[in-house]
Formats: sequence, C-alpha cells, structure tokens
Amino acid sequence: MIGADLVRAAPFRLALTLAAALAVTVVALFGFVYWKTDDYLTARSDQMIMTQLNVLSLLHDQRLLDAIDEHLRQDARGVQFAGLFRPDGSRITGNIAKVPADVKAGAPAHRVEIMAARHAGLEHQVVQGVARQLPDGVLLVLGRHVDETSGIAHVIGQALALGLVLALALSLVIGTLASLRARKRVEEVNRRVQRIVAGDLRERLPLHAGGEVFSKLAAIVNGMLDEMETMIHALAGVGNDIAHDVRTPLTRARLALERGRANATTLEQLQTATDKAIAGIDQSLTIVTALLRLAEIENSRRSAGFGAVALDELVREVCDLYEPIAENKEVALKVKAAPKLSVHGDRDLLIEAVANLVDNAIKFTPTGGRVDIELVRGDGESIVRVSDTGRGISESERDAVLRRFYRSQKDRNTPGVGLGLNLVAAIVKLHGFRLAIFPGPGCRVEIACPDQATA
Amino acid sequence: MTTAATGTKLTAAVPRRGPVNNGALEFPAVGKPLMTKILLIEDDGETAEEIAAELVERGFDVEWSADGIAGLDTARSSHPDVMIVDRMLPGMDGLSIIETLRQEQVRTPVLVLSALGAVDDRVRGLRAGGDDYLTKPFAILELVARIEALLRRPVETRETKLRVGSLELDLIERSAKRGDRVIDLLPREFRLLEYMMQRPDQLLTRAMLLEEVWNYKFVPATNLVDVHMGRVRHKVDGPDELPMIHNVRGAGFVLRTPA
Repeated sequence: MIGADLVRAAPFRLALTLAAALAVTVVALFGFVYWKTDDYLTARSDQMIMTQLNVLSLLHDQRLLDAIDEHLRQDARGVQFAGLFRPDGSRITGNIAKVPADVKAGAPAHRVEIMAARHAGLEHQVVQGVARQLPDGVLLVLGRHVDETSGIAHVIGQALALGLVLALALSLVIGTLASLRARKRVEEVNRRVQRIVAGDLRERLPLHAGGEVFSKLAAIVNGMLDEMETMIHALAGVGNDIAHDVRTPLTRARLALERGRANATTLEQLQTATDKAIAGIDQSLTIVTALLRLAEIENSRRSAGFGAVALDELVREVCDLYEPIAENKEVALKVKAAPKLSVHGDRDLLIEAVANLVDNAIKFTPTGGRVDIELVRGDGESIVRVSDTGRGISESERDAVLRRFYRSQKDRNTPGVGLGLNLVAAIVKLHGFRLAIFPGPGCRVEIACPDQATA
Repeated sequence: MTTAATGTKLTAAVPRRGPVNNGALEFPAVGKPLMTKILLIEDDGETAEEIAAELVERGFDVEWSADGIAGLDTARSSHPDVMIVDRMLPGMDGLSIIETLRQEQVRTPVLVLSALGAVDDRVRGLRAGGDDYLTKPFAILELVARIEALLRRPVETRETKLRVGSLELDLIERSAKRGDRVIDLLPREFRLLEYMMQRPDQLLTRAMLLEEVWNYKFVPATNLVDVHMGRVRHKVDGPDELPMIHNVRGAGFVLRTPA
C-alpha cells in the first residue's frame, strides 16, 4: 500500500521519467559514436589497401607472387584478402577463389562480395575491396574486412550499459527519497491545516530554509492565513457590535412593554407604552435593514442596471432633497456643479451614496455652519465633493469611520446607526470609484470617479 | 367544496383569532353587497392570520391560500380585485404565479411580499408594471396603504386642473390656490401636492412618497419626507383654515376635504 503510494508520488515518477530520458540519450549517443567510428575506420582501411595495391602493382612475375604470399602470411587475424587472376579468370595465387562478380577495376575502395579460400574450404565474405588490371593482362584484387568496428562498438556498448544501469539505480533511489520527503512535508502540512480547521487560527505552515518552491508556497499560504485571521477577528468584533446595537433598543422596547403591562391603568397609558416599544423595535429593524442592504450591495455583482448618470443633475437633486432639512437647522446648503459630467453607474445607488454624505454633513454641522456640494473635474476623473464646517474627522478616526457601527464617542447622542459611510464605501467600491476622507477643520469627503472605472 | 383549489374565506364576521386555516369555511357576507375581494397567498400561517385579520377589520373580503399552486387556482376561479403574494412559496414561487396570470391576460393588481435580500431586478420590475412590492418585515399600515393604492389607481384624465375641496392645482400654469388664496409653491412642493391631490382620502406612507414623488428607493437616515411635508402643509393649511393634510401617527399622511 505504502509502496504503491510511493511509486505514484510525483517525485518518484519524475525520477523515473528522467531515467528513461537518460536511457534514450545513451542509446542515441552510442549509435552516433558507432556510426562515426565505423566511418573513420573504414576510410583508414580503404586507404591502407589502396596503398598496398599501388605497391604491389609495381612488382612483376615471381616478386609479385612472393609479395602477395608475404602479405597474406603477415595477416594473423585473417582480415586480408588478395587474388591474382589470369585474363581468362583462372587463379594464379591468393586466397580469393575466383574473380568477384561485383569488383570494379580501377575504382576506389568499394563493397565487394568474395569467396575466400580457407583451409576449411570456401567462405562467403563481404569486404572493402579494390582491383587493378596490371600491364601484362592479369587482374590484382585486394580486400580487407573492417573488423575493428565491432570490437570497439562492443567496448563502448558495455561501458554505456554499465553507466545506464548505475544511473537508473541512482534515479530510483533519489526518486524514493524525494517521494518520502515530500510525503513527510505533506503530512506535516496536513497536520497543521487540520489544527487550523479545528479553530487554531494562529497555526502556520512550516517554512524551511533555502527558499525552495515548497517553502515559497507555504509562505504564500501563511500570508493568506495572516489576512484571514485579522478578518475573522474583525468580523467577530462586528458581530459583537451588531448584537449590542440591536439589543439596546430591544431592551428598551421590552422594558416599555413590561412596565406598560404592569402599571397602565388606562388605554392611553397602554398605548403610550406600546408606542415606545414599537419605536424601539423599529430602531432594531432599521439596523437590521441597513445591514442587509449593505450585504446586498456588497454581494451584488450586477452592472446590468448601469447606465450613463449625469452627475451635475444628481448633485442638484440631492441638494433639492436636503435643502429644507438644512434650512430647518439653519445650515447653508450650496451646490456648485458647473461642468456637465456623467459617469457609468447605477443612478439609484449613486444618489443614495451622495445623499448619505450630505445627510451626515448636515447632521454634524452646527447651526450657522455651511455644507457645500461640489462637482469638479480632476485629473482624468470626475469628483463629487461634500464639505462642511462641522467638527471634522480626525486623522486617527479616518479609517475607523469606515468600520461598521463606528460612531465617535462624541456622537453617541446623535441619532443614526453608524452604517451610512459603510454604505457609501460599498457603493463606491461596486462602481470601481474611490472614496477619500480628508481631515479637519471641517470635513471633506470625495467620491472620485475615474473616466475608466474598473467596475 | 374541494380544499386544495379554494383558500379560506374570511369576512368581517370572523373573530380576530378565529380558526382560519382548517378548511374552507363560508360565512354569510355582511355589510356591503359588493365587497372588495383580496386573495392572500402566504405560506406562513401566523403572518397570514395577522394580515387577514387587519384587512377583514377594514371591511375587505379575504381569501387565503398557503401554497403557490392552490393560490394560482384560486386566483383563476374567484377573480379577486387585488392579490397579496409572498415571493417564496411552496409549490410555485410568487413571481411565477404572476407571470402565469399575466400570460392568461389576467390584469389583477398584485402586491408582492419579498425578503429584503431577495429584492432583485425581477421584483423591482413589478413597480414598472403597475404592481408593487413590499419587503419583510413591514408595518401592517404600510401594507394596507399599498393595497388601497393598488385598488384606487388614479385614472388617466385630460383634466388640467386637480381639485380637492377648495384646493385647486393648475397643471398647465403650475399654480395652486385654496379658495381665493394663491399658494406659492416650489417645484418640488408642487410635485408632492400633485401626487397627493391625485389620491385624496388615501393614506400615503413615507416610503410610498419617497418612491413615487422623488423616485428614491432607499430609506434616508433623516426623516426627509416629514420635513418636506411640513413645508407644504404650512402653505396649504393657513392659520385660520381647517387642516387638509393630516399626519397619521406612525404611518404617513392623508389629504382630506375638511368636513
């Protein structure tokens, strides 16, 4: 079972593949060496018999016969062949039985089939041969069998085969070791991941020195785990905030109902208590509704409702909507939207975003202050800017205001659920726009809409 | 009477906590000979009971079906004047019921009840088609107001002047007067008053006004509608005159001819 696992493991299979590739290379190398060596040796042998032919051609009569006999006698390995024939084809001397059919007199060395006359009788041989017609009419044929090639091939082949066996054995060993190591790593990672799954969010994957691929991967996963741990803690915090914010008005509602039931003696008193309870429940519902709305926007990937939205009209509309509210509070609400600018987006959501900003601005601006809504052109983007003369948002609070339910301690008495800016941020993000909050004095919030939004 | 195809019938004679879902009970109709008939298709018994009780108390004839298929059958057989349909239903979902009826050329106005997270383009499209939707949870008065609005959709007229009592609105000249007193209105105030005068004696909730007058589909943090309405009321109801614009506690506003 474990053996089969090991063989299937990627490192092992990789080692096997490498070994196979090595074998193919060795065979190819062998073939190449053989081919080249054979060529070289044959050329040398051809040269040799040609020289011999030239030397023998210069001799005559008995001296020629003696030279041929001497030539054959000196050949201990039996690779030399020679024959001297009369014009009628009968043999004068030599160990070639008859004139070979395919020999060409005067041609360079070529492949010739001969019948060699041995002690045991006639023997068919294929050799490199040359022939020449001598001046007195006789034909001299010389042949040589190139046997060194096979010997050398044998030696090289043995050496390579031995190397191949060694290489294969080594591959198997390396493959097995690598497989074992990888399996150990995977088991270790699995153990730690199981701990993370079981809820230990601080656990991380092991890192080994050397920066190899596996460690790099582990480092990436660890980075992701860091991020997730932070997010999960933040979410838990939000959950607590939600529970607290929803419970407070519910507790008030419960109290009102309890007291009304116990103490009310007239219908009117009971109705007063009930009204209080309904107000409390309504506030809880408002929070839940705002949260669901936020989730709805954050989860929506739809851009089907997107179209061209005229920002100048949009800001004027929002101003028109909030003018009476500002007037009641004696806050001057002014809109400045000179350029005609439009963006690609969802009109309803964008109105909601700008309205939320204006709503906040008016809420946090004291009587006698002013709120300005401006539409300006930036560098490759259109900017909706809402600024007020309120207390402003301090540098330290800037990120916090985008957290759910964050409300400055100083604002605890101002009505609201503390989700307004979250909504704005979610809408802005959905559009691929940018939300920027600038620190005081006064508060300035900008929605920057790039011409090429990445929504 | 079979049980599956016919919902429970409720009339004003039903006690508030009466058994509403144990079969088909026929009660003799009392009061108006031609009562407005409402079909309620809602699978949650408790919600259905509350809605039905409230509507019956207001003089409507309510029929209830607890699942989609029975609801569709009832809609075909009993020809209600208006329907309240939950979106998520066993058997057949609410929007499919409406689409089926529309294909059969049934034009009965519908109010769809939908969970907040489930308000998608399909649901929003209802408003464009003359129907309406309401997200759960809702105030019961909001539901009643929207049912009344569906039942009393203003008829298209060529009339260029709207009149409610002594209040008169000239749609061409964009002017308003109460009796002989000329009322100076800002454009947004004119639009609000125009909408109200098309629907006199009808409860108009804040959400309805936001959606219809301002075309906004969100609930602002500040009570915008009250502030705008305050301005209009201040102009319409002079100090010595009988009030015409009334605030309905916790619900919305009504424009009435002074008695």
